[in-house]
Amino acid sequence: MDTRLANTWRLTVNEKRFIETALSSGIRIDGRNPFEYRKLSIKFGREDGSSEVQLGQTHIMGFVTGQLVQPYRDRPNEGTLSIFTEFSPMADPSFETGRPSESAVELGRIVDRGLRESRAVDTESLCVLAGKLVWAIRIDLHILDNGGNLVDAANIAALASLLTFRRPECSLGGEDDLEVIVHPPEEREPLPLIIHHLPIAVTFGFFSSESLLVIDPTHHEEAVMVGKMTATLNANGDVCAIQKPGGEGVLQSVIMQCLRLASRMASDITKKIKDAVETYNTERALRKIKRHPTSITLDGSVNLKEKLNEPSGHNVVNELSRKHLEKPRLASAENASSPGNNGEGESKSSNFGRSSRRDGATSNFVGGAASW
Amino acid sequence: MEVDRADGRNPNQLRPLACSCSILHRAHGSASWSQGFRFIQTSHFYHFNLFVFTSKCYFCYWVGSGDTKVLAAVYGPKAGTKKNENPEKASIEVIWKPRTGQIGKPEKEYEIILKRTLQSICILTINPNTTTSVIIQVVHDDGALLPCAINAACAALVDAGIPMKHLAVAICCCSAESGYCILDPTKLEEQKMKGFAYLVFPNSILSVLPEGSSLVQGEPMEHGIITSVTHGAMSVDDYFHCLERGRAASAKLSDFLRRSLQSKLPGDLSKAE
Repeated sequence: MDTRLANTWRLTVNEKRFIETALSSGIRIDGRNPFEYRKLSIKFGREDGSSEVQLGQTHIMGFVTGQLVQPYRDRPNEGTLSIFTEFSPMADPSFETGRPSESAVELGRIVDRGLRESRAVDTESLCVLAGKLVWAIRIDLHILDNGGNLVDAANIAALASLLTFRRPECSLGGEDDLEVIVHPPEEREPLPLIIHHLPIAVTFGFFSSESLLVIDPTHHEEAVMVGKMTATLNANGDVCAIQKPGGEGVLQSVIMQCLRLASRMASDITKKIKDAVETYNTERALRKIKRHPTSITLDGSVNLKEKLNEPSGHNVVNELSRKHLEKPRLASAENASSPGNNGEGESKSSNFGRSSRRDGATSNFVGGAASW
Repeated sequence: MEVDRADGRNPNQLRPLACSCSILHRAHGSASWSQGFRFIQTSHFYHFNLFVFTSKCYFCYWVGSGDTKVLAAVYGPKAGTKKNENPEKASIEVIWKPRTGQIGKPEKEYEIILKRTLQSICILTINPNTTTSVIIQVVHDDGALLPCAINAACAALVDAGIPMKHLAVAICCCSAESGYCILDPTKLEEQKMKGFAYLVFPNSILSVLPEGSSLVQGEPMEHGIITSVTHGAMSVDDYFHCLERGRAASAKLSDFLRRSLQSKLPGDLSKAE
């Protein structure tokens, strides 16, 4: 019992007072305006439907997978959407494995309400065979780093991964047209989900003095605040969900102000998400053009004709690549003639140790790929 | 006796490695380790052959070559040990989080293997009656998952400043039907091969071994094996063959690990909150 108390992190009284005093003069401890979001970065993984969102210090990953299942009896024509949130112990020393804590369940419910009950994802298009087979979409959200305001970041991660997810195309065949054939991605291009609108969650924190209100609280501010409210809106100005779980009472005028702010934030964030997804889609399309299983043969020669020339500054690279068509032949001859290399492999080790710093505390070392 | 690999590597070639430390803010130590490419950007890299100083340039359009990426975070040492742990020593707790789905028996097995491996490299007598938690999150799995996780965990332990005797480097070798040994297989290769082994070797604390360095019963320390997990059937000779190849490749991995950890900034901000 004592050890658990010893291991939890608690804000000291001095820090609490400092945060509150600073807020009453409109200063936040990380230098933002009270109505400003932290820096949002949305990245995508190699597979469709995986996203990594960083909102300031909060880091969340989302994965979307799909499976064919039997539909619910009362909704035989609709697919299902389920959200699983993992409050990984990686994110916060107070998160534990096993049964999800209250805040984990709350987060899951808020994201769920925003996506499912506002009908953002079109579930009828997920039906393959009415009453027999539908697509069940599963969203896994992994919280990696708790820097505060997990709800907003988790929502963005869920949306980003849903927008980039592709499900395999199905067609009916066989006798009676009742057999479902799932086409692998190499055969037929997988299809994106139909998403009508993007519900964005915006979280507000309330403090003990009247009308002190911040958007996107950090985890220090979360430890100080006395009440919070999450409003889920979309860019059209529709309110999808509002969650104010107890806490200090606030005036009606403050709530209206929050909703107005939230709709502004929602359109900003929607734009950012859409831009990120656009970039990903163009890269994906480019990748598809170049992917040819026959173009790389054993001796390393590459079919240059199939390459789309990268713009600017890669002419040098193209020349080198022509040279390398001869070199691998030499190299493989070398390798063949010196089998007593003692198994020394050609493991790629980079001589470009590029260290880049993020927030002054990260160091990056890439072995092999010289990325720009 | 060339074996055809789908991504054009030769049998002794590892996938490109990438390691970054201190990526999480709340965790006391964190690291991500990836073997293979991320396909977001097209990139080219220069490869220096060990014997002939030539540079080859490959466009990385590896077909079907994926990447295995693992994120590791360390919290510790925290006060107290669990009930069935020895309170006279520090204990290590490993939590393995798969990409999707429930936690089942394979995850538990990975946790146990990782825990025993890390217990043998950490100095457990320094902080008795404490628990150090290592949390592993699988970001992407394309073969050689456990070695990737072990490497990430070691880097994260260094980032957190946990006292260790030496590091460990892990590698996966599989043996094909023809008796040939292949290093660092992708998931497809793992499934096709006759058998494969995850091997963990100690990382030497010296970059250049002096003559007559510490020999334990006539063999240098680096030739020891910390962990070996095999899947599938392979003959004894095949296994020894894999061990040799793995050991040779582990020297490269050790180098890479050493360099990537050395380039970290000293005097990092204290993360104890």
